This record gives sequence, structure tokens and C-alpha cells, in this order.
Amino acid sequence: MKLFYACSASTCVVLILLLLLYPVILSFIRSKSPKFEIYYHSVIALGLSFYISMMLLLLSLILPINMTVTILPWTNTDVFDMDISLQFDLYSVMFMPVALYVTWQILEFAYTYMHADPQINRFFKYLLIFMTAMIIFVTANNLLQLFIGWEIMGIMSFLLIGWWHGRADANIAALQAMIYNRVGDIGLIYAMAWFAIIHNSWDIQHIFQLPQNEKINLPLIALIIAATGKSAQFSLHPWLPSAMEGPTPVSALLHSSTMVVAGIFLLVRMNPLMEFNPTILTICLCLGALTTFFSALCALTQNDIKKIVAFSTSSQLGLMMVAIGLNQPDLAFLHICTHAFFKALLFLCSGSFIHSLNGEQDIRKMGGMLYLMPITSSCFTLSILSLMGVPFMTGFFSKDTILEAMSASYVNIWAITLTLMATSFTAVYSLRLIFFVLMGRPRTKPVSTMNEHDPYAIKPLVRLAVASIITGCLLVHYMVPPKMPVITMPPILKLAALIVSLIGFVIALGLAFMANKQLKPKPPSGPHHFSNMLGFFPTIIHRFIPKIILTMAQKIASKMIDQTWLKKTGPKAASNINKPLATTTSNVQRGMIKPYITLFLLTLTIAGILVYFTIF
Amino acid sequence: MASAYLTHQQKVMRLYKKSLRHLESWCVFRDKYRFYACMLRARFDENKNEKDMVKATKMLRAGEEEFWANQHPQPYIFPDSPGGTSYERYECYKVPEWVLDYWHPSEKAMYPDYFSKREQWKKLRMQSWDKEVAQLQAETPADGPKTEALPPARKEGDLPPLWWQFVTRPRQHPT
Repeated sequence: MKLFYACSASTCVVLILLLLLYPVILSFIRSKSPKFEIYYHSVIALGLSFYISMMLLLLSLILPINMTVTILPWTNTDVFDMDISLQFDLYSVMFMPVALYVTWQILEFAYTYMHADPQINRFFKYLLIFMTAMIIFVTANNLLQLFIGWEIMGIMSFLLIGWWHGRADANIAALQAMIYNRVGDIGLIYAMAWFAIIHNSWDIQHIFQLPQNEKINLPLIALIIAATGKSAQFSLHPWLPSAMEGPTPVSALLHSSTMVVAGIFLLVRMNPLMEFNPTILTICLCLGALTTFFSALCALTQNDIKKIVAFSTSSQLGLMMVAIGLNQPDLAFLHICTHAFFKALLFLCSGSFIHSLNGEQDIRKMGGMLYLMPITSSCFTLSILSLMGVPFMTGFFSKDTILEAMSASYVNIWAITLTLMATSFTAVYSLRLIFFVLMGRPRTKPVSTMNEHDPYAIKPLVRLAVASIITGCLLVHYMVPPKMPVITMPPILKLAALIVSLIGFVIALGLAFMANKQLKPKPPSGPHHFSNMLGFFPTIIHRFIPKIILTMAQKIASKMIDQTWLKKTGPKAASNINKPLATTTSNVQRGMIKPYITLFLLTLTIAGILVYFTIF
Repeated sequence: MASAYLTHQQKVMRLYKKSLRHLESWCVFRDKYRFYACMLRARFDENKNEKDMVKATKMLRAGEEEFWANQHPQPYIFPDSPGGTSYERYECYKVPEWVLDYWHPSEKAMYPDYFSKREQWKKLRMQSWDKEVAQLQAETPADGPKTEALPPARKEGDLPPLWWQFVTRPRQHPT
């Protein structure tokens, strides 16, 4: 039975990889493809891949086997063996269909959104290469394979953020993403180097055999840094809102549902190393709590619809990190899966609004979309309800369970408070989105061309909306968590998440009605500016620190090198010391008779005195 | 950026316009914006006949300071304007128009009307170029141009300076 499972699983993954790479290879072979050729091949490839991955998932539900399959030996030396091997466990088998389904829908939506783009074939090719890298990353059983997937995803992210490379802002955002992710990569490379030197293996199953002691803290911290970079946790987060410079399908696929969760996925994968390490778990918990709170706070006052959704993503990634910190990696993974559906839907609906409004992204200039685009608005509302964790929507099953686990655990009150406040803020900015985008009268340009006639724009939204309703229930029903989540607790803890969401909703409703009255032209600016300017974090990190370094460098160059070395101690000093002597000597020798006679007499006198004292 | 000193009137008008833009960023709803915009207009109108320049300059300075204190950190920017979300988005797809001269004859043959017209334009350009440059040189002050706007044609039958750039302007958005 095991052999059958191993053969089937590895065949499925190889087939998926081949299917995904087929349109890419085709585009290399045929130099001039018709405009949408790659699109048609891509959609077929993704659809087939999704069904194959579903077969694998069903097989793994029937035969719940965790298995590692070695396909090829890679490098075999006396001290270091490495094989190309695939891992088939709950995480890889379940994440593949989720990612493929979401990508499939996003690609179909991109057909409408990017229809006018002259380079659309290249766009779909990049998305397929990204998806291939994601599959490699998810199924990797050794760190090098994992690193290859990780890096290709990073490169694709760079290329897709800078898709409109005529824009200076897009180029800056792409570079920013690249640089922040390199910081994370240093963490991953450090961890790989540590495992290679200390343990002589990059095989994940072998790494788990390492003794659990304090020495392992260093590579684990490096892994947390890697996750911080990729999953935009606090301190390395500014690249994620900037990444919204890319086209909306890219934001929906890479920067909300799949690529950014790679950091959290890495920690979920490596969890056996940290499950008995309270230091590392506490770092994860505090980092996650801070991220979820700070991002939700920033989302409150943003006006760009994509930026709000990006901060919401960052906040949800923080919540996943909190779940890792609570030693509940399965809950984090569950939230990765559920979040992928509703966040992709939220982005696609936002993209649909933006596309219909001729590129307008500011929610101050939207409004009344409920009447103009009813289907998209309904899907948008569903995704927001799921994001808020409204009972029995997809988000509820993962988000509520994480908050329950946190409330019932013995972790610090600071982290709990921050996370609950973030949950409340989620309700506030969600309602703000609904209020400004869907409700009220349109504040758009008077000439409106919007409609919902294009099936390529509507069908993916409806499919993702259905997924945002039912998948949470299905995942919870069929996923057998290796670690038992909390089952019994007092009612107040059980209802804590719902209560704070409700409080946030009521506060937001109150604020919305106050905004309708607006007794002053401008609200109190202190807290607003803090949230609106992203806590002044980019200003401090991107301006203040480089300014200090530049000023210091200027001082070193001008003061230390120029003045201290050249003038006070170096060549200028030597010249200054010798100058008086040289001046005096040369002043004497100017061809004037008086100094010569004086010197002659002086020398004669000295010589006479010397002779006198020598003789007598 | 202004290439010349601004008069007091210009400064007041610019302050008024940017105050309105920032007010619009604060007041999302149109009715509220109209109300506060009228209030703002009334404040400006109240002192529009001020003859004492010292007093007027002090008021302008107070106005600039008030604007600075009350400005929006994220003012609304039109998507196509500098700083907007789709500004220069399709810049990467634009190619210079002279690329058309290098099209293969068979390709040019597919658009006979356009290319015959283009040949006429090129002849016209050769004829009018010297006149355009002469007009620009004559009308540009010694210390540099006061505005970025190009002058219109002054004589009957002349073409406006640099008309070629407008006739052959590349598309803003790919279709």
C-alpha cells in the first residue's frame, strides 16, 4: 500500500510540474506566440494540475500516510548526502490544491484585467514559473530544494512587482521587496550553513533528529528572520504595502495568498525543532502579536483600497505567527489555507472595482458600488465577512480557533491584548471598506462604463466566493490535526473573539455615522497621522537611518580623512613642521652681504671660543 | 516648479487651490466638502480687497501656516497625475515615433493612408522647422522661459512650434 501511495504521489507531483512548465517551455520554443496563446495553455495546465492535486489529496485522506519519496540522488560524498526527494504530508498535500485553485481563478481574472497589456504572454509565463517554484517549495524534503523554490519565488515577486517598469514607484517597490527579502534570505542561508556544518545534512527528516538544546537557538532565530522577511512581519514589513505597485492579479496571488505565507509555512514545516523551545516560541508569539496589531492599526486610516487589503494581509500573517508562537502549527497552516481563498477574493473584487473605475484606487472616490456592480459587491462583502471571522464563514474556523487557543493558554497578557485589539481593528477597517466602497452615493467620475457582463471577470469571483464560504468547514472536517487543539474553555473565552469583533464593528458603525455628519473639516490629527503615515516607520528606517549614515560618512571623509590625516598628521603636518626651518634657512641665504658677514663673524667667534677652550 | 517669482495674487490663488484640494481629501462626502469649500471661499473673499500690502502679506503668511498645520498626509491624487497610482504606468510600452521609419515596406503597405500622410508631415516638418526654431528663439526671454507652455503660431499659414510632438504623440494606454 505504501509503495502504491509513494508511486501515485510522486507521479502526481511530477505531472503537475510538467503541466505547469509546458506553456513556459512552449513560449521558449515558439518565438512569436499569438497574443493569448500562453493564457489558454496556462488555464488548461492549472485546471488539470488542480484536479491531479485533488486526486492526491483524496488519496491521502483515504490512506493517511506521511511519506518521503526519493526521486534521484543529487550529490553523494563521504560526509554529505543529498537526494532530490519529495515530502508528502498533510501540509504539502493540502496546500497544493489550495494554491492551484486560487492561481487558476486569478489567472482567469487576469485575462480581463490585463487584456490590453502587450506583454500578456510573458505575464502568464511569470505566474506559471512562480507556481512551479511554489510546488517545489511546498514538497521539498531538503533545505536546498526548499531554498531553490524560495529564491525563485523571490525573483518572480521582484519581476512582477516591477511589471510596469516605466513607473519609478514600481521600480522602487520592486527593489524594496528584493532588499527586504534578502535580509530574510540571509537568515535562511545561515540556518542552512549551520545545519550543514553541525549536522552534515540538509534533509529535513534528519534535521529533526537534532538534540533539543540551547545550541539550536541560533539556526531557529535565523529561520524566524527568514520568515520575518518573506512573511512581512514587523520590522521587515514595509515591502508588502509597497508591493501593491504590481498589477492586482499579482497582488492577489503572490502578496496575499501564496508567496507571503511561505515564511510561515517554513516555520510550520520546521516546527518539530522548536516545539519544546520556549524562547523561540515566545519570540514568535511577540513578533506575531506586534505585527498583527501594528498592521491592523495602519490599515485603519489608509485610503488606497489595495493598501488596506495589503495591511490586512500583514495582520493575518501576524496572526499565523501568533499560532506558531502558541505551538499550534496546524492552526497556522489552517489559517494559511482559509486565508488564501478569502484574501484572493478580496483582492480580485478590489481589482474589479479599480478596473471599472479606470484605475482609481482611492476609496474616497468610490461609493455606491453596490448598485453599480452587485455581484462583485456581494463577493466583496462575503470575503470581508470571512476576514472578520463571522461565524461559519471560512475565516471563522481558523481565526476563531487561534484566538481561542491563545485566550486559553498561559501566554503573556500583552500578546493577548494586542491580538484581540487587532481583531477588533479588523472589524473596523472592514466596515470602513464596505462603507466607503459599497454604500452611499457614487463619488466616481460622472461618465461610468462599468458593467458585469464579462464572464471572465465574474466567474472567478463567484467560484472563490463559494470557496470562501465552504472550504473552512471542509478543511476542519477532513483535516486531522496531529496536535489536539483546545476543546473545553469558559464561555467568555470562547466568545472573546466574537465579542471584540462585535465591539469593533459597533465602534466603526458609530464612526461611520459621525463621518456622515462631519462637524469639523479635519479630524484630530495626532493618532490619525500615526496610523496614516504607517507609524512613521518607513520615514525612520528609509530616511533617518540612511541620513545618519550619510552624514557620518561625510564627516569621516571631510573631517577625519581630509582634516585629521591630511592636514594635522599626514603630508600637511610634515610640511608645516619643516616650513619654519626651511623659511629661516632660506631667508638667511638671499645673497645679502650683511647676513653673510654676521654669519661669518658668528662662526669665527664660535670657532675662536672653541679653540680657546681646547688650548687652555 | 515655477521658473519666475510669483506675484502676491498668484501666491494667494495657489494657496486657495491647494487648500481646496486638501479639504477635498479630508471631506469625503461631497455635500460636506461643498459646505466647507464655501466657508473657505468666504474667508478668502472677506479680504480680497485689502490694499495694505504689509497686512496682506501677513495674512498670506498666516494662511500658509494654517495650511501647513492642516494639510492631509495623503492628499487625493488623480491616478494619471504625477504621484498617482497609474502615472507613467504604460511608459514602458511606448516607443519613439521614429521607429515607424524603420518599418519594413511590406508592413508599411498594410497602412497606406497613414504612411502617405506621414510622408507629407515629414516634408511639412522640413519646411517649417527653421521657422519654428526662429519663433521660439525670438519669443524666449534671455533669462529663460517664464512658462512651460509653448507659444501658438503667430502668422497666417505658420505651424505652431514643435507641432510634430503633438501630431505623432504615442498612445497613453495600450488597447
